[in-house]
Amino acid sequence: MTAVQITFEDVANMPGGKVVKIVHIVGQLDESNVDEEAKKIYSLIEAGPQGLNIIFDFSALEYMNSKSIGYLTDWYSKISAMGGKVVIAMARENILDILQVVGLTQLINAFPSIEEAKLAIMQ
Amino acid sequence: MDTAITTQLEQTPQQAQATLANPALIIEKPIEIVIILPTQAYFISGIRDFTLHMTQNLTGFSEKWAFRFQAIVDELCNNAIEHGSAPGKDIKIKFLSEKGISLAVSVEDTGTSKEKMTAAQLTELLKTRKQMMTGQYLGFRGRGLPKIIAEWTDELVFEDVDGGGIRVKIKKYLRKEEDTVSSVGTTNHIVLK
Repeated sequence: MTAVQITFEDVANMPGGKVVKIVHIVGQLDESNVDEEAKKIYSLIEAGPQGLNIIFDFSALEYMNSKSIGYLTDWYSKISAMGGKVVIAMARENILDILQVVGLTQLINAFPSIEEAKLAIMQ
Repeated sequence: MDTAITTQLEQTPQQAQATLANPALIIEKPIEIVIILPTQAYFISGIRDFTLHMTQNLTGFSEKWAFRFQAIVDELCNNAIEHGSAPGKDIKIKFLSEKGISLAVSVEDTGTSKEKMTAAQLTELLKTRKQMMTGQYLGFRGRGLPKIIAEWTDELVFEDVDGGGIRVKIKKYLRKEEDTVSSVGTTNHIVLK
């Protein structure tokens, strides 16, 4: 199985009491691991309050395949339905390139820093 | 993993033309690399690494295109494992690099999977999926072939193979401007043999 590590971080002191979590993904998401790893993020979403917001920190994400993009789309749909926002932060050029070719950057905004991603969620 | 590397001796017409147009360009012999893999997703990360480094070092394509080929080959292999070759069987991956001109890749399955398709069915599937993705697509699966593979290649060919499998062949020509300018969404090509 390809190595990947997913960890969660709470963002404290968000204006208006917004609940924001940062999902850090380190490594590669591919056919060998994405089904198993996706369960962690579904658990986070299911446990979250209405209006949960997620920042995906892709700074250490080296690769994602089309199936993992499918999962990302599904997480976006679920969070949006709960009244929250999903944004991407610090994605590498190859990740932005693949998100762009499948049209996902039209759906989920990507920002060069975590701070800019937080600002986008506050708006 | 079985690997065979062969080189062809003759210069292709495209290489000859490129040499005439730019004598300073050093044209190397085409390099053909064949890899046979068992149908396990575990092995695919190694193929991705190989594709990335091979593209960067042997083809003349930019780093951006090396990452794109990495994704293309990954999607082709995953499709062949999921839909083409049953567990315990193999898939065959062939790279043909004409440095400074093009990179071609073919992935062949054995047609032993329960979800086996023909070249004609695959062509129809691609057409359907392209139509499905003309607007904002929120579905879970189906982006690999119409978006990642088809949009990043100049040629995409599906062939039925003797014995029941499918061979999917892609080819991308190297153009200077593509090192800096995105070219997505500009190709529309299917050849059925």
